[in-house]
Amino acid sequence: MATELVSGNEACARGAMAAGCNFFGGYPISPSSEVAEALARLLPKNGGVFLQMEDEMGSLGSVLGASLGGAKAMTATSGPGFTLMQEHLGYATLAEIPCVVVDVMRVGPSTGVPTAPSQGDVMQARWGSHGDRAVIVLAPASVQEIYEMTIIAFNLAERLRTPVVLIYDEVLAHMRERVELLVPHQEDLWRRPKPSVPPGPGYRPYLANEEGVAPLPNFGDGYRFHVTGLMHDERGYPTTQAKAVSQLMSRLKNKMEPVTEWILPESYRLEDADLAFVAYGITARVAKEAVDRLRDAGILAGLFRPRLLWPVPVTDFQKLLGHAGIAVVAEMNQGQWVEVVERLAPRSMQVLGQGKLGGEPMTTEELMNVAETLMQKGARVL
Amino acid sequence: MWKKEIRLAGSGGQGLGLAATVLASAALQAGLYVTTLQSYGPEARGGASRSDVTLSDQDIANPWFSRPALLLALNQKSWAKFGGNLAEGALAVVDSNWVEAHEYPGVLALPLEQMAKAELREKIAANMVAVGVIGVLLDRLPLAILAEAAYLKAPKGFERINKAAVELGWHVMEQIKGGVEREHIGGA
Repeated sequence: MATELVSGNEACARGAMAAGCNFFGGYPISPSSEVAEALARLLPKNGGVFLQMEDEMGSLGSVLGASLGGAKAMTATSGPGFTLMQEHLGYATLAEIPCVVVDVMRVGPSTGVPTAPSQGDVMQARWGSHGDRAVIVLAPASVQEIYEMTIIAFNLAERLRTPVVLIYDEVLAHMRERVELLVPHQEDLWRRPKPSVPPGPGYRPYLANEEGVAPLPNFGDGYRFHVTGLMHDERGYPTTQAKAVSQLMSRLKNKMEPVTEWILPESYRLEDADLAFVAYGITARVAKEAVDRLRDAGILAGLFRPRLLWPVPVTDFQKLLGHAGIAVVAEMNQGQWVEVVERLAPRSMQVLGQGKLGGEPMTTEELMNVAETLMQKGARVL
Repeated sequence: MWKKEIRLAGSGGQGLGLAATVLASAALQAGLYVTTLQSYGPEARGGASRSDVTLSDQDIANPWFSRPALLLALNQKSWAKFGGNLAEGALAVVDSNWVEAHEYPGVLALPLEQMAKAELREKIAANMVAVGVIGVLLDRLPLAILAEAAYLKAPKGFERINKAAVELGWHVMEQIKGGVEREHIGGA
């Protein structure tokens, strides 16, 4: 274990190496480029492959191919590149190809402000790709957590045979702080399940195990299987049969469900809180400071910080947030995750979105002002 | 809880990123919590670029601040941009060769670049002289740790110069501090 001062993007690359990543295919884009830069340095030295592709579509394509060949594969990008990857993300979900996609959020839409932070891709991460699919999206709030969650992202991708998205913003990407670079034990690094039957007629490539995951051999292991973006049956043959299609779609959704029990939210001083901030990523750190300062001023505030944005941690949300009369959902966008809170909050709870645009993070004072105004006037009046 | 929000400002290329790295590494070595944030993209070039460092003896919740408690301004532009937005009772260290800032009560004007040039024949080491000055003002980082960090983080060939520059800044600031303290005693 080493304690070092590293940036978020560097921590992401170091976490990937610790997770056993051996393939990166990407295209540089601010503010994510240092992930690629660091892996361009680290991967070749450690027997891995770094590949710069012609664009983001090619990037994720190369990652999917590498993964099917048995590699632990990833890419990193920002909003515009993430948009270009959405087609392949949907493909990876249906074809069940493990991979990790890092999206370092900047101000958008379009080219926007390439060098300034935002949290505008929360809904893109959820609904960016067409069709009806479940996704896993992790949201770290510190450099330490970026390191740890990159390892977790690989574990989830491998175990559940699915793409996993890690999103954070430009501030977390470039800030440096103290990180303990704990090297995980080999047995804590999950690998995709392998078929228990030998190659041959008895092998059904999309027959799920007890976790709802179909074992995946590497290309070249001797198994014949078809990888397709068409709906398929257990044999991998395209199908239009309603029953087979709905079974497959349900299995792909259901296999993600345990994740909400694995990746728990952070609950900070919520036990007796009258007002709960709901915030993730860098904004959660600002909110945490606001909680302490509000309590010093006599306002009982607390913080609910989802570490997993999708699938939504429903049970914990209701259990932890149920007591507060007011929830202020703070995010650097025009209101995205607030929709989740509105949907899940008890009827008695007032839910308000507090956005921040323009490329500067929320400040502690801004959140304190919102809370103080609400508590003075009473949420109902507003 | 002890916490200090420091903004290092100047023109891109004056070594503010390195100054932040040296302060942060020394703080890490001294067992403190630390975060750094710096201008990114076009802001990091020319004009008024900044490197923000937060030091604390506890976990730092929020690395982002708008009103620093300690400002270093190496040029006029960065003083103009950040000098008007300081925390209450803040201190500012400015390079008197380049910055006109005499009216501000908490300002300490020192000829940082000239000191580096005269003593070390390297005016580019003004950033490290400033680190030494800041070290004394912080009163949390021992000189040995700070000088060692300057040595280890220096670009190749600048190890000794940067270490010496930190020591220079430190000793000059100690003398000023000693003078101020004597004045106080004399006045009372």
